[in-house]
Amino acid sequence: MTMLLEPAEAAPAPETVIEVPRSIDPALPISDKVFFVVAKGIGISVLVIMGAIGVFLGLQSIPTFRRYGFSFFTESSWQPENDVLGIAAVLVGTFTVALVAMLIAFPLALSAALYISEYAAPKVKSFLISMVDLMAAIPSIVWGLWGFFLLQPKAIHVAHWLHTHLGWIPFFHVDTDPNAAPWAQSRYAASAFIAGIAVSMMVLPMAAAVMRQVFSQAPIGEREAALALGSTRWGMIRTVVLPFGRGGIIGGTMLSLGRALGETIAVVLIISPAFDIKFRPLEIGTSTVSALIAGRFGEATSAQLSALLTAGFVLFVITLIINTLAATIVARSRSGANAD
Amino acid sequence: MTVIMDTSSGIGRPETGGGSLEARNISAWFGSNKVLERVSLDMPANTVTALIGPSGCGKSTFLRVLNRMHELVPSARLNGEVLLDGMDIYESGHRITETRKRIGMVFQKPNPFPAMSIADNVTAGLKLTGTRISRSDREDLIERSLTRASLWKEVKDRLKEPGAALSGGQQQRLCIARSLAVDPEVLLMDEPCSALDPTSTRRVEETIHEIRQQVTVVIVTHNMQQAARVSQQCAFFLAESGTPGGIVESGATKDIFGSPVDKRTEDYVNGRFG
Ligand SMILES: Nc1ncnc2c1ncn2[C@@H]1O[C@H](COP(=O)(O)OP(=O)(O)OP(=O)(O)O)[C@@H](O)[C@H]1O
Ligand SMILES: [Mg+2]
Repeated sequence: MTMLLEPAEAAPAPETVIEVPRSIDPALPISDKVFFVVAKGIGISVLVIMGAIGVFLGLQSIPTFRRYGFSFFTESSWQPENDVLGIAAVLVGTFTVALVAMLIAFPLALSAALYISEYAAPKVKSFLISMVDLMAAIPSIVWGLWGFFLLQPKAIHVAHWLHTHLGWIPFFHVDTDPNAAPWAQSRYAASAFIAGIAVSMMVLPMAAAVMRQVFSQAPIGEREAALALGSTRWGMIRTVVLPFGRGGIIGGTMLSLGRALGETIAVVLIISPAFDIKFRPLEIGTSTVSALIAGRFGEATSAQLSALLTAGFVLFVITLIINTLAATIVARSRSGANAD
Repeated sequence: MTVIMDTSSGIGRPETGGGSLEARNISAWFGSNKVLERVSLDMPANTVTALIGPSGCGKSTFLRVLNRMHELVPSARLNGEVLLDGMDIYESGHRITETRKRIGMVFQKPNPFPAMSIADNVTAGLKLTGTRISRSDREDLIERSLTRASLWKEVKDRLKEPGAALSGGQQQRLCIARSLAVDPEVLLMDEPCSALDPTSTRRVEETIHEIRQQVTVVIVTHNMQQAARVSQQCAFFLAESGTPGGIVESGATKDIFGSPVDKRTEDYVNGRFG
């Protein structure tokens, strides 16, 4: 070894040659070139469309921000006829509905994904996967109708029960007497809670699909290592599958949060609009940014339209931030690293 | 005779004496494809048994039948009995987790838990089987297991680093340490050195040599020298075209290599096959 190395080390430094990396022509076949150009074009146009929406909304918002300034974010009422308007209440409403939706969707999606990827027998598995996909294909207006006609009559009983037993927690409080006789149909209907349940059904399939996909990518070698040590299936899931899928759990949840924040039609159908800032999801009345826009769009003057578009712009920015965060988390995690 | 821990946990078994393992008429299928036919093999306590044979003849399948890993493949089925110290591990009364704890396995590809520290990797088996252990016992166990896998010297100052930070050979020895930490009676090894360099291979072989006093070892290997070096008995598997695999010849390693009875065994061990 040393014998071989020594002459090389002792040799005089060779005259300096300036090295230039040689060019390597990939010489793509025509079909590849066409595909490359088309794919690149489509990719760029997606970005351009996204950017254009953002720029359009941003430009439309300038007059509103000029006129109302920061009070656009702190004012809760929306009375363009009196020249006072702001999105404080609808932002709170938006997040309340989304929070309720995620509180319900997250545990359901996680357990559904775990069951499908880890416990279900192969036949049951493909059946369940297509059921969840089918659930994603149901139009949101149908979920809205479901929420209004089928869910609401049942959910007000749940809301009443929660108020009666957990009403001392502000989150479950409703501004009424739980023991009042004709309580039904009154203060518990048309609430953020009921809208949140409907929205949770809409976002659940996406969250479950993302989680299931990362769970099924957990390395077989590590799974077998855990089982061969004498682990139960649940022990294996806890030590291998869940740590591996953490990025997918967080990412899938945030992606569906992004969707829950923007959900419109189901919310419009269920809630009765109210513009006070409150954190009482069980109580009647709330509003969300998208429900506000949908509700006021038809009768808006051009100044009002600009205000509504500004509200839309704020929502756009919020969802963009959340989705970007989600994508970053998924990409940083072990499971997402080689998935793109 | 050193007792490690609380005997009631099942881990306090004296560190002397492995279990005896006996396979009786094992047949195995993947779907409708029969890959093993009526294979019987006696693996006495405290011997190293080497399984040799060409690729695809069912060695891994046989090994996985021995600690109930075979049934993890959805289409897999089997017939026959595997007796651990005289008791059939496929009997319905036996808990599968207990069986796998008593019959450990080291895989071809090193598979430490990458996010766990080296120390946590060693004790992962205890955690997974819900075995409690005091802090000082835990440190002892980590040192002893890593020493038995001849990895202690290399990692004793970096026990908190993640398992993925080790080289392939070190990872494989970490996996051996992890298996030894639950104090199995039998250790199954499926080509444990196929991804390792000669030095690491040597280390693993020394480890096998040392643990043989306490654990019964069954090892699959494609390396004839290795089989000759580490094992006391040897079984030659073969699946002739279109037929399920089976054992052509088994016996003391020196006989299989020195004076094989079957012509096919002689050809294989002398590298004159196919
Ligand atoms: N998961 C599986 N599904 C279906 N068939 C399988 C599966 N695993 C193995 N087989 C088949 O079973 C037969 C035996 O495979 P096995 O892995 O036991 O061979 P082996 O002796 O370990 O080979 P090698 O030396 O290459 O590891 C092969 O024909 C293989 O195709
Ligand atoms: Mg194999």
